[in-house]
Amino acid sequence: MNRVFILTPLMVLLIICVFSLAYLLSGKDPNKPPSALLNKDVPIFESSSLYNSKDIIKSKDIKNKKTLINFFASWCSPCKIEHPLFFEIRKKHPELYLLGFNHKDLTSDAKKYLEDDGNPYDFVGVDSDGLIALEFGVFGLPETYLINEDGKIIYKFMGPITMDVLKNEIEPLL
Amino acid sequence: MKLNHFYKLSHIIIFSFVFFTFKIFAVENIDERVKKLTLELRCMTCQNQSIYDSDAEFSNDIKKIVKNKLKNGESERDIKKFLVERYGEYILFRPLMNYNNIFLWSFPFILLIIGLFFVLIKSKGNKV
Repeated sequence: MNRVFILTPLMVLLIICVFSLAYLLSGKDPNKPPSALLNKDVPIFESSSLYNSKDIIKSKDIKNKKTLINFFASWCSPCKIEHPLFFEIRKKHPELYLLGFNHKDLTSDAKKYLEDDGNPYDFVGVDSDGLIALEFGVFGLPETYLINEDGKIIYKFMGPITMDVLKNEIEPLL
Repeated sequence: MKLNHFYKLSHIIIFSFVFFTFKIFAVENIDERVKKLTLELRCMTCQNQSIYDSDAEFSNDIKKIVKNKLKNGESERDIKKFLVERYGEYILFRPLMNYNNIFLWSFPFILLIIGLFFVLIKSKGNKV
């Protein structure tokens, strides 16, 4: 009886520890913390086009259309790796609006990059001071966000998109 | 007449001195506050480094934002809230006191109570 009385709290503690550990480690990669903006409204932004500073895009312009937002720069080598995949997305899902944000880049370098590697985006917005990226909680390039028709962020991917990511994570949401 | 000029000049010098002293003090004070706050923030692109200690581009951007916000009179709490809304609680070294973290904060006390319970049992056993 006395033994049960002593062991019960120990067992309870052990169970609490096991469940807590399982919860803390469940699918969480410390290198890829979840986005705080997931399932929240797309942040308010306004950006001019890389090709025409008078051409402006605002957050309200992407309402009612599924949008894939990609933050990239000409100086970012991983961006170059994922770049061809946006042409694949463009071809497979012509209804999807592709919005690229050129992050902290020189206009001439960005233009040359898109000239050499091609431009898959419907609109290339300039984020020269990085403030739009800050609103999206970007902390390293490239980063990609999927926005649904209600203007909510439904998916975020940090790092270069791969074919596996495209097929298994992005396409099921399209 | 000359004495009057002297008084005016000395007033200007004293006021300028006081003004610039306050200005320097304010800048130093802001820098100190930036340091204090950024030491509590995690550099998201580095391994176990605070934003203050890191020279990564991300950290430098956050340092600038924190400084501007402090200059604009925003409180440390508001700045932390702004950053948590965008980067999540992961950016804070010290977890927030909220419902999600209740177990984290209460666990040491649970351990203490269980420990005391065992000490009590043990001491009773020794008496017998």
